Amino acid sequence: MEGFLQALAAGLLIGAVYGLMCVGLGLIFGVMRVINFAHGDFMMLGMYTAFYLFTTFGIQAVFGNAIGPFVAILLAGPLLALFGYLVHLALISRVSGTRTALLEGEGHYAQLILTLGIALILQNGGLIIFGSVLASIRTPLSSSAWELGPFFDISVFINKARGIDAIASLLILALLTLLMTRSRIGKSLRAAADNPTAATYMGIDVDRAHRIAFALGSGITAIAGGLLATNYPFHPFVGLEYVIVMYAGVVLGGMGSIIGAFWGGMTIGLVQQMSTLMLPTQLQNAAIFVVFLLIIFFRPQGFFGRMVERT
Amino acid sequence: MRKDTTYKGGITRRTVLSGAAAMGLSRVARAEQPQEVKVGLIVPLSGIYTRPGQVMKMGAEMGIEHINAQGGIKALGGAKLKLVVIDCGDTTEKAKNAAQRMVAQETDLVAATGAYLSSFTLAVTEVTERAQLPMLTLSYSDLLTERGFKFIFQTAATASRQSELGLPTLMKLAESASGKRPKTVAMLMDNTATSVATAKALKEKLFAQEGLQLVVEEVWTPPLSDATPLIQKVRSARPDLLLFMPNAVSDAKLGLEKISEFGLGQGKIPTVSFSITIAEPDMLQSVTPDVVQGIMTIVANWGSKGHEDLIAELKAKYKEPWMTQNVISTYGDMWLMKNALEKAGKADRLAVAEAFRNLDGGPSKYYPGGELKFDDKGRRVGAGVVIVQWQSGVPVTVYPPELAQASPFWPKKS
Repeated sequence: MEGFLQALAAGLLIGAVYGLMCVGLGLIFGVMRVINFAHGDFMMLGMYTAFYLFTTFGIQAVFGNAIGPFVAILLAGPLLALFGYLVHLALISRVSGTRTALLEGEGHYAQLILTLGIALILQNGGLIIFGSVLASIRTPLSSSAWELGPFFDISVFINKARGIDAIASLLILALLTLLMTRSRIGKSLRAAADNPTAATYMGIDVDRAHRIAFALGSGITAIAGGLLATNYPFHPFVGLEYVIVMYAGVVLGGMGSIIGAFWGGMTIGLVQQMSTLMLPTQLQNAAIFVVFLLIIFFRPQGFFGRMVERT
Repeated sequence: MRKDTTYKGGITRRTVLSGAAAMGLSRVARAEQPQEVKVGLIVPLSGIYTRPGQVMKMGAEMGIEHINAQGGIKALGGAKLKLVVIDCGDTTEKAKNAAQRMVAQETDLVAATGAYLSSFTLAVTEVTERAQLPMLTLSYSDLLTERGFKFIFQTAATASRQSELGLPTLMKLAESASGKRPKTVAMLMDNTATSVATAKALKEKLFAQEGLQLVVEEVWTPPLSDATPLIQKVRSARPDLLLFMPNAVSDAKLGLEKISEFGLGQGKIPTVSFSITIAEPDMLQSVTPDVVQGIMTIVANWGSKGHEDLIAELKAKYKEPWMTQNVISTYGDMWLMKNALEKAGKADRLAVAEAFRNLDGGPSKYYPGGELKFDDKGRRVGAGVVIVQWQSGVPVTVYPPELAQASPFWPKKS
């Protein structure tokens, strides 16, 4: 029982961060219909940005090792959003949005090649700039826990860093939901996602909406990466380890649904941790894809497909 | 009328021919004593294993610099060693392709070293064996030298041998320090070739031999996303000893921090590893020194007593805080190649391979235990192990006594 509760707690905590990662990708795909293979590398940049803000730009000295990492992580989000905005302006906009009419396969081939190219440049550029030494946002919270219990001799440990990561993920999801449903920007994003042509006729600048979506998606994933980095050491190629998780989460949740992407990521976290109760640990990643295939088999549209087909 | 070909001064056609022949011979002689001799280093310099590759390059560069500064290869008229560095990438496929590129483009290499992961070395040596290029390696897998290959030379003790040498020593240490022998053991390991080979020897022979009962055995595929399921099982079983065998720093961090989080650290369950990962300088970028204090690991080599000057030079030149096995072994490989070249007397890969096979260089200065001599399989004779323990934020050699920089302590339950 203790093992079950501990795995459940770990699955929920890590699932919340996976969920936030998937939300970033889901937002970009939902609004722009662009498959961004560089998304994991934007997450990597978010990790390094948070790391350098924390260690080099004085946040550690001002806020200390407990609060400082989270301040740095939250600041990394807007910086990566700005970076995403510029990448879209300079590169992605040339193969997406209104320009796709001129491109073969609605621009998807060009988008795949372009985002793969960006991924390679970010990975190898990261290796040149940041080096190959593993980096880590070191906080004492990652090796300490809140102990729930003992109740009937059962204690469950909640890792402090992971606990704060999960709360931060939920807060950001809530803010994003408010932005998408209550603000003018959110409405323009949804309109651009639902029907770009009609949105253009209604006076919405679809390319600008796409740019904002790309920036938001990049910023959110950067924050998710930063949260992950409080527990997980990283290197310039770390994006490769998570990009599959992100895509699986987005597909599980229903392509194009933000809330679906979050639950997709959460499902992956839960399956990854809870599968170890029944299966050998080395099969935990295989278990993710078995569940993934089962869900796709029985519900091809994903959890939230069709109902909220687009954001 | 026949023209007289004899000139005053005795210069005949024969003289001219013999002079030309002599000139030709001297050219051959010069070819046998080249200005420089190329040796290869094939290691990962891109992808996730870049860091160990870079560290091995440091060791090779230091070795070459020292050899050349001391007069190069004397048997070849003082020829200088030249390092050719090849990136083997981060997959076995890339490693094999890199090896093919190396043997095709660098035809004058006389020997090579490197590859880092056993799985990469297995792929690389398939190619170097066909090219008859002698390859030294620090990789541990027993399989490397069980294929009947003639051009591979394993300088480290094999994974199974390291278990055989390391575990009894640890048990003695535990008994002398704590007054009782551990009876139960948990083993957490990744599924890389080295860990699998180590675990095989432990489970098939050594646990029974040392009277240890295996109460938890968990294997994971790196990289771990979270170590909760693993450490929860250890927490439930409460073994006397934990063997934790990660081969990625991220896995080591997640495991050790979870041990600490669950209140099992600081000697509550003494933790021992069987890989260099847990003592890499990168660890301190990821965890605080108290998380690793007292943890021991059994490795094939380490910068130890007698290597103080090298360690100081490494610190000054490359800013490395200590000398891991990757540096010292690759440094030693350069000297081993020099020895073979001196013995071979010519810059020829077949002659160098033969020199490795027949080498009898006495005690090894840059590898623990044994001699500079290889057996029929290509394994270094008497290769030993080093036990390293984290003490106050630095992994120091604590065994064997002749190499120890500090005395070991057995972490006690607090």
